[in-house]
Amino acid sequence: MGPFSLQKWQASLSNFPMLLEGLGVTLIVAATGLALAMIIGVVFGVLSSSHWKVARFFARVYVEFFQNTPLLIQVFLLYNALPLIAPKAVIPVTVVGVMGVGFYHGAYIAEVVRAGIQSIHQGQIEAALSQGFSYIQAMRHVIIPQALRVVLPPLTNQAVVLIKNTSILAVIAGGDLMYRGDSYAGSVGNYGPTYVVVGLLYFALCYPLAVLTKKLEDRSEVHGNA
Amino acid sequence: MKKKMHVLVIAFALVLSVTALVGCGAKKATTTGANGVSSDIQKIKDAGVLKVGVKVDVPNFGYKDPKTNKIDGFEIDLARQLAKRILGDESKIQLEPVTAKTRGPLLDNGQLDVVIATFTIKPERLLQWNFSDSYYTDQVGILVKKDSGITGLKDLDGKKVGVAQGATTKDAIEAEIAAQKLSIKPNYLEFATYPEINAALESGRIDAFSVDKSILTGYLSSDKVILAEGFAPQQYGIATKKGNDGITKECNTMLKEMTANGEMTTLLKKWNLK
Repeated sequence: MGPFSLQKWQASLSNFPMLLEGLGVTLIVAATGLALAMIIGVVFGVLSSSHWKVARFFARVYVEFFQNTPLLIQVFLLYNALPLIAPKAVIPVTVVGVMGVGFYHGAYIAEVVRAGIQSIHQGQIEAALSQGFSYIQAMRHVIIPQALRVVLPPLTNQAVVLIKNTSILAVIAGGDLMYRGDSYAGSVGNYGPTYVVVGLLYFALCYPLAVLTKKLEDRSEVHGNA
Repeated sequence: MKKKMHVLVIAFALVLSVTALVGCGAKKATTTGANGVSSDIQKIKDAGVLKVGVKVDVPNFGYKDPKTNKIDGFEIDLARQLAKRILGDESKIQLEPVTAKTRGPLLDNGQLDVVIATFTIKPERLLQWNFSDSYYTDQVGILVKKDSGITGLKDLDGKKVGVAQGATTKDAIEAEIAAQKLSIKPNYLEFATYPEINAALESGRIDAFSVDKSILTGYLSSDKVILAEGFAPQQYGIATKKGNDGITKECNTMLKEMTANGEMTTLLKKWNLK
């Protein structure tokens, strides 16, 4: 009997509700994680393109740390090391997941935001400031609306990668889609159909976003670079 | 035009999965050649080496000593015996580390000839793989921190129990709870490797670490204790790909002979097993 026999497909489909439960966890962690990553990304992106040296320094440290260490290690630290340092601070595993992908992709989004802001000509901010805008106002009303068009395609791309990276929860028993799949695949050996179904569910989540990325890219090419 | 593109991409993704479905679904039965050697054994003879999946993190069974970098243990000695019988030379083995999760797929895709890796014989598993007769019987045990106050299965209500992915432990604990008519409900958390479960126990992420007792002994430390209670005898067997009946027969003959001539007792004594 091969790993993809009909019998195994039937057995695996009976486990489908379990996978859907995992899909729910994946969706929640991905949505919350993305929100966190956006907040972190915008804050550090703006900081690293500011004129304030100390802010630029801290933004750099943050971005380099999270971009240049594996997500797996960051998640293990939050999951296992933190409770050893502070036994009272046991963060629930879904929150570890949200923080993990949030911090990690926050660093990447910060770079996207910084590049977006820097793509707007220096003269724009100077003009805004000379018109009496404060730095924050200039950012909000002049720079960010223009930068947004540039950064949207890479941002949706980050969302796709973030969704897939939530599968890191599988290694810390996070109950997400990958974990449920692993668990079922391992227990009775129906790994063939299980991983195909799990893969297709991730595909269903990510493909629409990938299409959106492509659309946004096309649009920014047509109207961009005025 | 664009819509057509999406349809194409999605269709292609589906085709890929279906190809996997059909391509790997093919089954090959064992045949016996003219010389009386079954085709699965002949394949190993042709390769000139026996590829064995073993544990590297279970002291006394299959353990890679970090000092010498050598894998050794009771199950490794069994693998050597098997190589001696099939290939006439006990050194012609290639040891591949496996975990509870990887050993099944590695057999199915032909990367391994046999798995001797604390692999429990279970009815569901007999549908997927061939198993030899049992060569060792172990029990499921529970490892806890001494200061946890847990003294037995009855204390596990609502506690987090770390188990290994692809292992039988969860079913075994549930069966024991039912057998003892306890009204408790532990939460099970599955991890890929034993060190990960141990790390979770040490960091307080889980309250108990439950796998086979032989495996737990490797993770004992001064602040941890294995509960006296043990349950659900687990019989370990040598697994091969479904349909590799020649190899399974060879394993059974080997185990029978080793038991009869006392080699098995000697080997168990060598590795401090009972």
